[in-house]
Amino acid sequence: ASGSGGAGDARTWGVGFGGTYLRGVTQLESFDPPRMNPEPVRGPRPVTVGGLVSRAVRDMWRRLRTMRTALWLLGVVGLESILATVVPQRMNVPSTVASWEAGTAGPGVAVSQVLEFIGAYRVYTSPLFVATLLLLFTSLTACLLPRFRAWWRISRHSVPPLSRHLGDQEHVARFASPLGVEEARATARGVLTDHRYRVRDGALAPDGSTQVAAEKGLIVREGGSLMFHVSFYVLLVSIILGQLTTFEGFASVVEGQAFTDTSIGYGVYEPGRWFGPEDHAGFTIRMDDFTVDWVRDPLAPGAGTPTLFESDVTLTLPDGTQTAERIENNHPLVVDGFKIHLLGWGYAPLVRIRDGSTVVYEDFVTTVFDETETAFTGVVKAPGADPDLGVEVFLVPYAPEGEDGGPVFTGAPWADAPVLAYQSWTGDLRLSATQSVSDLDTEGMTEGSFGFLRPGQIFPLGGTMTMEFVELRQWTNLQVSRRPQVPWLLLGSTLLLLGLLPALYAYRRRVWVGVAPDEDGRTLVTVAGRAFQRPQAFEDEFLELDQALRAALDGPPADLPSQTAQGARR
Amino acid sequence: MTTAELSKLLFSPVTLLLYTSAMLMYLYAMAFSTVAVDGDARASKGRRARFVATSLTWLGVLAHVAHIVVRAIASDRLPLGNMFEFSSIIALTVVIGGLVVIQGRMKRPELMGFVLIGALLTLGISLLLYANPAPLQPILDTWWRAIHVTTIALSAGIFSLAAVFNALHLLRDTAETRVAALAGDGFGPGTVGAAQAPPSEPDEDTDATVASMDTRVEPDVLDLADDPESHEAAYRTALRDVLAERWFGIRYPWRIALGSAFVGLLFSLIWWDAGVSASIVVTMFVLAGVGWAAVPFLPGASTLDSLTYRTIAFAFPIWTFAVITGAMWAEQSWGRFWGWDPKETSAFLTWVAYAGYLHARATRGMNGRKASWLGLISYGVLLFTYYAVNLLISGLHSYGGISQTVGA
Ligand code: HEM
Repeated sequence: ASGSGGAGDARTWGVGFGGTYLRGVTQLESFDPPRMNPEPVRGPRPVTVGGLVSRAVRDMWRRLRTMRTALWLLGVVGLESILATVVPQRMNVPSTVASWEAGTAGPGVAVSQVLEFIGAYRVYTSPLFVATLLLLFTSLTACLLPRFRAWWRISRHSVPPLSRHLGDQEHVARFASPLGVEEARATARGVLTDHRYRVRDGALAPDGSTQVAAEKGLIVREGGSLMFHVSFYVLLVSIILGQLTTFEGFASVVEGQAFTDTSIGYGVYEPGRWFGPEDHAGFTIRMDDFTVDWVRDPLAPGAGTPTLFESDVTLTLPDGTQTAERIENNHPLVVDGFKIHLLGWGYAPLVRIRDGSTVVYEDFVTTVFDETETAFTGVVKAPGADPDLGVEVFLVPYAPEGEDGGPVFTGAPWADAPVLAYQSWTGDLRLSATQSVSDLDTEGMTEGSFGFLRPGQIFPLGGTMTMEFVELRQWTNLQVSRRPQVPWLLLGSTLLLLGLLPALYAYRRRVWVGVAPDEDGRTLVTVAGRAFQRPQAFEDEFLELDQALRAALDGPPADLPSQTAQGARR
Repeated sequence: MTTAELSKLLFSPVTLLLYTSAMLMYLYAMAFSTVAVDGDARASKGRRARFVATSLTWLGVLAHVAHIVVRAIASDRLPLGNMFEFSSIIALTVVIGGLVVIQGRMKRPELMGFVLIGALLTLGISLLLYANPAPLQPILDTWWRAIHVTTIALSAGIFSLAAVFNALHLLRDTAETRVAALAGDGFGPGTVGAAQAPPSEPDEDTDATVASMDTRVEPDVLDLADDPESHEAAYRTALRDVLAERWFGIRYPWRIALGSAFVGLLFSLIWWDAGVSASIVVTMFVLAGVGWAAVPFLPGASTLDSLTYRTIAFAFPIWTFAVITGAMWAEQSWGRFWGWDPKETSAFLTWVAYAGYLHARATRGMNGRKASWLGLISYGVLLFTYYAVNLLISGLHSYGGISQTVGA
């Protein structure tokens, strides 16, 4: 016999308001919005242009709301990201894009033009990507609004339905309790409430039986899912506003030199659209000393791996206060919301070129490590010489004297025995032609002399020209960035994770405890339950709940696993 | 012997041999793992084989952990600094996840042979990427990184475990569907009726679905009226038969083998090495054969499907967390939290793909097989993220003007 036989009146058994309503709630298993009322039936309407348009719009809206559409859109976003993985992006690797366009790398000029045309070099700012994203969020919105409404209603009004046939539920356990029916029910109710179930009492049936119905999990699961999806808006808004207000700039600074945070102080300057010159903090950073070190033992594991990057700098604030600061890897200097990272370095030999006694060039050459040359390379362009003079510079940091007195080149990067190898060219530098400052276009130039210089040495370049390697310093590439969006992105990410966990793991389940008097004056207790998701997890929970109820109701301890229906077996 | 040599020795051959022999033992035991139809003798043989297999696996785990610890000591850092170490941890996660959850909690030891195959594949590929222990570049050395790479490795391991179930599900589901299509002869009214039940989505949410799917797929729980033994045997034979073709006079799952070999070949292009390609193709052929032979002994398709879903659902939040910490690390180290560089893009892509799988599972109308394919494709995206982007594409890119000697 099921624990609570007998018919109560229609209302208490859940056919009245609660029942109709809860049928709606049941639909939430699929996260469809509960339908409060059947769709109104409409007669045929006259066909008008307005009608057609509005129908088309409604149709599209309906289609947009389905998860299938969202899935497809998500897929398109994925495809676009693949494109962006395979094709170099201008914002990441402009030089690679340039060489693809020039045809010196990549699939060739023709393909490159197609790629340019479809916006493949700037996927994330292309109209197609923006449109996909827009549609995706429209779809998301269309689907979330009804879910929100439904969730709000459920969390305020939902009560679990009573069950007419406790014995038919997936999980059923029965035992006898010495407590009276009312007391047993109240106790069971207490146990369920302690387990954080929402409970509802059934009425007393004519045969003296009654029950308490309980449910939990739905609000958390659905709420989690909603929070998860809402986090996308937080992320999106943060990303967009962030793009507008962010700032990023790069400055190359040689030891002993300084740069100032102004709109003209940077070599590479990339402010967001809403970031104006007045938003700069106006600090000055002087690079006093840059230290880099490596695993120097050639036999040690990881020989040559850098182990240390440290920059000692002097920070001068606009009000004139000066402080000594240190920038280390992963420990950027933070000034007034601006973060200063060291992103690169190289050797900067001070080169002086004289024509007779006239100095035609004197500057630090910022050299960059070139893997194919195993040297730091840079160029000198001296248009002041006559004819133009170009010098390719190869700095080998560790080239001790060999037996024959000449330098022995090693690949070691530490500057214990630096030597500057150079190759000079004379002719037309063609500075008006577009070319990068770090490339020397030697076409049409005459090869000059080649030689080695130790610091302090002067060598003739031919004619009246001489070249002097005055001293060796290091230069650093400093990135200054301001990212006001980061805390908001963190908030969005936190919401996302906090929502994801219940959306995936919380599960909705119902438990009923029916109590009925038997002839011996005991109370027969029937515990029944059913899970809507994660049946395995509920199996354990049900056993535990059964134990707790037995303990509370002075029933016999369960010695056998309760009967569980087959459906729970997965 | 140096610590580096010791760690290498512990890895290869010790760990690899232990895992391989355990894998073979598990596969041997699997043949006895289903309901022991013809008595206790077979069942206890299976039990003994499984005990040996389990012991060997634990020994393998021990050696594997020892290898990782020694390596960590040799390089004096968290052993997650290069692809070899990463693959190693992924494989360890797969094995321990299998032992603890699949065999321990879910009581599905018959899947362990395949779990170990998954781990061995990962380890085999990791040997191609072997690097001696070395210290880390300073830019890689932060707490965020530690959290990031640990969680990425962990979730990649769990996703790999899921991919094993995913592949097995597709295999078993194909067999079951084909047997169901052939039904009418020989499987009794119970099976036929269930087989003709409308295709139901593998949604955990509805118990009606669960019940109907379990009936459809699990002959051993069917209420077969007459002679359950022969029914069962016939069903098992049928499951195998429907997957094979007789080509060149040999019965073999040729199509499946060719399909997986093709995918394997595509994957092997990453190395651009004939030897690697050939071994991967041969491996895929062998694996198709093993899977084919094992099909009758696998759990029902719905069980495998649910296992896949639960494993992916478990890994997904961890991956999410890992991607977020990766962004935090990038912000701390490079002053930009997200730059859409290939690595970041493809981590995002993996996330999107698995999100697609989870959505597909939640939607009605998307049937189990489609979702399952989506799951496998998602794993493909993960592999792409991991191998192709690391080995091929990152060459194109450098972190925002960082020079190579800074070493990003
Ligand atoms: C990544 C993990 C995600 C999970 C676990 C997740 C989970 C869910 C769930 C459980 C539903 C309700 C399913 C149903 O209707 O039966 C849903 C619906 C939806 N999700 Fe997600 N979601 C995720 C990501 C996303 C993303 C990234 C988007 C797009 C920005 C998105 C867009 C949608 C849309 C538009 C729906 C509406 C479906 C409908 O009710 O018709 N979701 N999601």
